[in-house]
Amino acid sequence: MLQFKLVLLGDSSVGKSSIVHRFVKDSFDEFRESTIGAAFLSQTVKLGKHDDVTIKFEIWDTAGQERYKSLAPMYYRNANAALIVYDVTQPGSLLKAQSWVEELKHKVGDQDLVICLVGNKLDLCAEDPNARQVDIDDAQAYAQEKHLLFHEVSAKTGVGVAQIFQEMGEKVYEQKTAESAAAAASRPRKAVNVELQRPSTNDSTTCCA
Amino acid sequence: MMSSERRASMAERRPSTLDRSSVSAERKGSVTVVPHLAGIEDPLPETTPEKVDVLLVGTGLVESILAAALSWQGSRVLQIDSNSYYGDTSATLTIDQLKQWVQDVNQGSMKCYESAKLHISSMMGRGVYRSRDFGIDLSPKILFAKSDLLSILLKSRVHQYLEFQSLSNFHTYENDSFERLTNTKQEIFTNPSLPLMTKRNLMKFIKFVLDWENQPEVWQSYKDQPMASFLVDKFKLEKAQVFELIFSIGMCYNINVKTPEALQRIRRYLTSFDVYGPFPVLYSKYGGPGELSQGFCRSAAVAGATYKLNETLVSYDPDSKIAIFGDGSRVSVSEKVVVAPTQCPENSQNVPEQKYEVQRLTCVVDKPCSEWFGEGEYASVVVFPPNSLKSGNRQAVQALIMGAGSDVCPRGTSVWYLSSTETGPRGEMDLDAALGALEESIMRESSADIENDEGLVEMDNSGHLTLNSVKLGQSFKEYSSRDKLQIIVKLYYKQFTSTPPFEVVDPSIFEINEPNNLATKKLIPGASDNGVLYTPLPSAEVSYDEAITAARILFQSIVGSDDDFFDLDFEDDDEKDQINESAVIDDDEDAKMNMALDVEMSVEPVEFAGEMEI
Repeated sequence: MLQFKLVLLGDSSVGKSSIVHRFVKDSFDEFRESTIGAAFLSQTVKLGKHDDVTIKFEIWDTAGQERYKSLAPMYYRNANAALIVYDVTQPGSLLKAQSWVEELKHKVGDQDLVICLVGNKLDLCAEDPNARQVDIDDAQAYAQEKHLLFHEVSAKTGVGVAQIFQEMGEKVYEQKTAESAAAAASRPRKAVNVELQRPSTNDSTTCCA
Repeated sequence: MMSSERRASMAERRPSTLDRSSVSAERKGSVTVVPHLAGIEDPLPETTPEKVDVLLVGTGLVESILAAALSWQGSRVLQIDSNSYYGDTSATLTIDQLKQWVQDVNQGSMKCYESAKLHISSMMGRGVYRSRDFGIDLSPKILFAKSDLLSILLKSRVHQYLEFQSLSNFHTYENDSFERLTNTKQEIFTNPSLPLMTKRNLMKFIKFVLDWENQPEVWQSYKDQPMASFLVDKFKLEKAQVFELIFSIGMCYNINVKTPEALQRIRRYLTSFDVYGPFPVLYSKYGGPGELSQGFCRSAAVAGATYKLNETLVSYDPDSKIAIFGDGSRVSVSEKVVVAPTQCPENSQNVPEQKYEVQRLTCVVDKPCSEWFGEGEYASVVVFPPNSLKSGNRQAVQALIMGAGSDVCPRGTSVWYLSSTETGPRGEMDLDAALGALEESIMRESSADIENDEGLVEMDNSGHLTLNSVKLGQSFKEYSSRDKLQIIVKLYYKQFTSTPPFEVVDPSIFEINEPNNLATKKLIPGASDNGVLYTPLPSAEVSYDEAITAARILFQSIVGSDDDFFDLDFEDDDEKDQINESAVIDDDEDAKMNMALDVEMSVEPVEFAGEMEI
């Protein structure tokens, strides 16, 4: 199965984790206990647009390391997609999201990346129209200018959440298939990684009990 | 003071009320040992913690392993680093970071380092290469396939953040050339240059060393004797084999290494062989200990540890148990402050003596060096035994060669990490001599390869490739290239450590500030680091062996026992998962996807078919 790394970015308390949590819980696939130890959640997405191909997102959470801008290079490495989250009820929230976009571009350089800007906490605006502090048009305009996908969602009610991942899934899939067709001919042979959880069976000197 | 009661681990504290409606009935029955996960299940706390159990200063490998071990055990951990990057003495740096680091060393603000010299070719300035294309390790390491760190990587699942590749080529430098190591039984049998008698003796020794500890009668009388005499007396081995065993397989630094230490180190190599395939050693892509440090820090963060880079410890008061930071903030520490000697507060007076020297010479060169790598591999080890270099080296010089496939440097280049435990100016002379030998060798070897040699193959006016017949007439062995090796980056520095070259860790350094000793030990008035526990810095040891040992000893002195040291069980269901997966997807889809698969991603470890859990 094609697997893609998706990283979450944004200030603390904008609801990054809730979005993922909502997505993973609402999906047909079960909450995958075994991947949790490594703090990324795996979630498959079926792409209706592409003959129902199923892809897998490996979703990395910041685990709080963003709070003091202490995210390690490892976090960004080989990411295929990024979700940059802001809070529609917080003034200045969009500005902070924009600085995360800059930070991301700075960290990954020319790495091809599907980025989605997400305004969260839409449910609060529904309850109280005055709660909204970030205009949807401003966010949309910014996203367009920077070629980002854009969605407003509510992790609490689930509105719009599934669409984010659906759209991102389609985008990364299209990008990957185009890329691999181009690269298949030209790319030199790459070294094969060793899978640590799979020791060789012809091991005569040791015994794995 | 420390509580003698065992603290409930993160796993045990995990509330059973967690909503598991989506978890299958089959799963529900089993006990899950996964804590609340920061950010994923728990909303993150808004503020800096005011109170922690353990404060860790520095994000070197030992401190980072300790942070993960403590966090999963249930301790509240705050880990800071005065640098803007993770890793401290274990860091993997870009060229720009390296420039800054060298400046800091020479201004004295990077403690435990000295005499850093950096040369960067104008190719960098001209933009041929970018700073971020490089990951230069300050303490490069290799990972033995059978080692305590490897099992901790698996247990903690930190391996999921990392990528590993194999290293099978170990070269010994002798008589101005590299001899590749004869390291497998098959190779020993089939090697035509080995006399039958030598083969037999070598096999006898290999059989013995795998179980040496249970045969004291063989080596007891050599307990305090050099390994070389043991091998010659007891196994009648020749000098060439003795050197290979001690320096390449054992990776020892000098000929005086005592028999038990050398036996241990030789066995390490042999038992690691064939665990994952026909190679003894692995390394992590993108950088060594720097990557592992990041991985363990992330693991600790997931279990709730707080991270703050660009932060310094100003002082710690063991009476009030308050630590004060560079930005004026403070934290109350209920148990222990653990500090890397490189990041000790100003005015500290309890830092253990760092009396052992490691000298390093790190070069990035414009040759891929594939001549030295095994098939499909991108790294090798070259050992220069004592007296093999023009400098008349008394200690071995070890070189770790990393190619572009390990993603620490751009295509067409490679990184040469040379290290020596020789002290003073001799150390630098040895390193320079070894660099010269490597350079001569790669120029000769890459020239002998017609396809790759620009001097032999020339472009004529119409753009066709022609062979330069004059050069072809010369003997390749004699041929010395007119081209000089282009060195893109050259870095020399000295590092100091409290760990002697042969010991994995000197345990006495931990006693200085042991809680038990606190009562008897007078605090030094005015010192900013009373009651602080210091970690050992990396030694010249090329393997990771010291890191887990050090972290475990520290863990034990903080928690009281090492029972909970990475006592994790993530209910490993990798196999079950794969079954579940295929249950979701029917075969037709599977086939379709396989066709769409990218070349790189479709590489399944076929050679490791038949899964086995460690």
